[in-house]
Amino acid sequence: MLVKKSLHSLTGKLIITIGTLMIAGSLIFWYFLFRYQENALIEGSVKYGYSFVEYVRKSTRYGMLAYQKLIIQQTIEAIGSEEGVLNIRIFNRQGRITYSSNKKDIGTILDKTSPVCTGCHTEDEHPKDTKTWSIKKEKDYRVLNIVQPIYNEPACYTSTCHFHPKDQKVLGLVEANLSLALLDKSIKQQGIAMIIYVLVFLFVISVVLCTILWKFVSTPVSLLAQGMERVAAGDLDYQVTINTRDEMGDLAKAFNAMTLDLKKAKDELVEWGHTLEKKVMEKTEAMQKAQAQLIHSEKLASLGRMAAGVAHEINSPLTGIVTFGHLLRKKFPEGSEDREDIDVIIDQANRCSNIIKGLLGFARASAAEKTLINVNDALSSSLNIVRNKADFFNIKLIINFDESLPPVKADPSQLQQVFLNMIMNAADAFDGKGTITITSRTIEDEGKEFVEIEFSDTGSGIREEDIEKLFEPFFTTKPVGKGTGLGLAVSHGIIKEHGGSIFVKSKLGEGSSFFIRLPVYREYKS
Amino acid sequence: MTKGKVLVIDDEDIVRTSCSRALTPEGYEVKMARNGFDGLRMIEEEEFDLVLTDLKMPDMDGIEVLGKIKEEWPGIEVIIITGYQTVDTAVKAIKLGAFDYIEKPFTPDALVSAVRNAFEQKKR
Repeated sequence: MLVKKSLHSLTGKLIITIGTLMIAGSLIFWYFLFRYQENALIEGSVKYGYSFVEYVRKSTRYGMLAYQKLIIQQTIEAIGSEEGVLNIRIFNRQGRITYSSNKKDIGTILDKTSPVCTGCHTEDEHPKDTKTWSIKKEKDYRVLNIVQPIYNEPACYTSTCHFHPKDQKVLGLVEANLSLALLDKSIKQQGIAMIIYVLVFLFVISVVLCTILWKFVSTPVSLLAQGMERVAAGDLDYQVTINTRDEMGDLAKAFNAMTLDLKKAKDELVEWGHTLEKKVMEKTEAMQKAQAQLIHSEKLASLGRMAAGVAHEINSPLTGIVTFGHLLRKKFPEGSEDREDIDVIIDQANRCSNIIKGLLGFARASAAEKTLINVNDALSSSLNIVRNKADFFNIKLIINFDESLPPVKADPSQLQQVFLNMIMNAADAFDGKGTITITSRTIEDEGKEFVEIEFSDTGSGIREEDIEKLFEPFFTTKPVGKGTGLGLAVSHGIIKEHGGSIFVKSKLGEGSSFFIRLPVYREYKS
Repeated sequence: MTKGKVLVIDDEDIVRTSCSRALTPEGYEVKMARNGFDGLRMIEEEEFDLVLTDLKMPDMDGIEVLGKIKEEWPGIEVIIITGYQTVDTAVKAIKLGAFDYIEKPFTPDALVSAVRNAFEQKKR
């Protein structure tokens, strides 16, 4: 896992900030604690010093009252020889050292500016008459200096020596200098111990802090960053696995939710894109189909107009051929070869006439008389015509009529012509024997309702390349003389005229299905 | 003595000739006009028993000719010749008083039989 270890990382910044704050805080804290403890120690020393001086005073009291100078001197010397006691001196009112643990000092007079005196004697002020203390620094240790006044008391001025008058308040001073070397040593040791405590404390705190930051901040943050990189690179299935219940966990959950949303949105977008593409393709296809159909219809229509014109023009010469053929025919005896030849001419002229009738039907598709009819009825009429024909003896007719068929607006005779043509075509698809299934139903296509009639046969099927040409005039697959190639063209024209469509599905060798769709009459629907 | 006088109005020469050649041997006197105007002028000039008229002609069509004849000479029977038979025009023609209509191409026998029927109708 990649975690930034530089000082610019979140962890680095946090560690530096917290570390600095902790070092500063603990330094200040430990400094004051140290000072407080030192003061307490000094205070203890001063207390001790006062007791010590009081002890000196009391020890020498008897000597003073009895004025036994030697005893006083000896006592002071004895006490002064104690360890940690540097010297003990007793001053009189004039500042003369009367007794001292150091004999050389006796007799020395100190003026009021000497350090011993300045504790009480300050300039312009009446001297204080209370005990005082001070600390001064010697070479390698400190010295506690205690000065205590010796007050006048009845025992003093009533003593036999009458040395002190009654109105004097302070008779002299006791001064003791005590070494603080031991105290200093202990303070120093305490200081070192404290520094060690602080360092250990800081180290432990730092380690714990680093671990916590690493576990709860750096790792999840880098996981999230990694997740974001993956997501940014397009991997929307990526999920960050942070299961803590803190803000990082919430962040990870929010991030995962966001990724999921993103994925959903992207999927939808992609789906939309596909749908759009598909729709565009479908529309394009439909448009192309419609265009092709339009071209096809236009082609058929102009062919129809041309066919009508040709038919009309050809009928008159045919009349001539037929009439004169008949006239000529009468001039030859019955059974003669010439007469048979003329019969061929007349027959062929009649065939031409039939072709023209088909052409005219094709052209006439537009002149329809439309009424509301039931398609089933028109189908039944067409079926009645063929049912008794000899051609249909071996053909099985299966009829599946939807009895609840809505009406359509159509010319009944034209529809019958179309249906008849469909049935005849189906019958021609096989050699006399087979099954024709006729089905009527209602369907919906692109929001519009249609009546659909299906003519299925079990015949030979239609070749793919022929399907396109199927509805063109004069296209036929029947043997010469059998079909005019106009039946489907006429049917197509009629169905188009009715706003419907006609199409075919076929599989070679399995049969064909012709579908006719006619729009359901609208007013009926509402 | 002829069986009757027949006028054939058709813009096509071959149709006119066909009618003439089919009817003349049967004993009818056949005259011909190439359009409606000519035909009506001829009817004004001489008497005819029967008129065969094409339906589709330039300038004046068969329905118009039929209307004029039935208006001015109701005694003349009219048979419509059509190469373009539709239910519409046939119904219209019969309604206007045409005796029959005959489809092109027709056989001489069919024509003769139609003409004969018309004359029989006239006699009654």
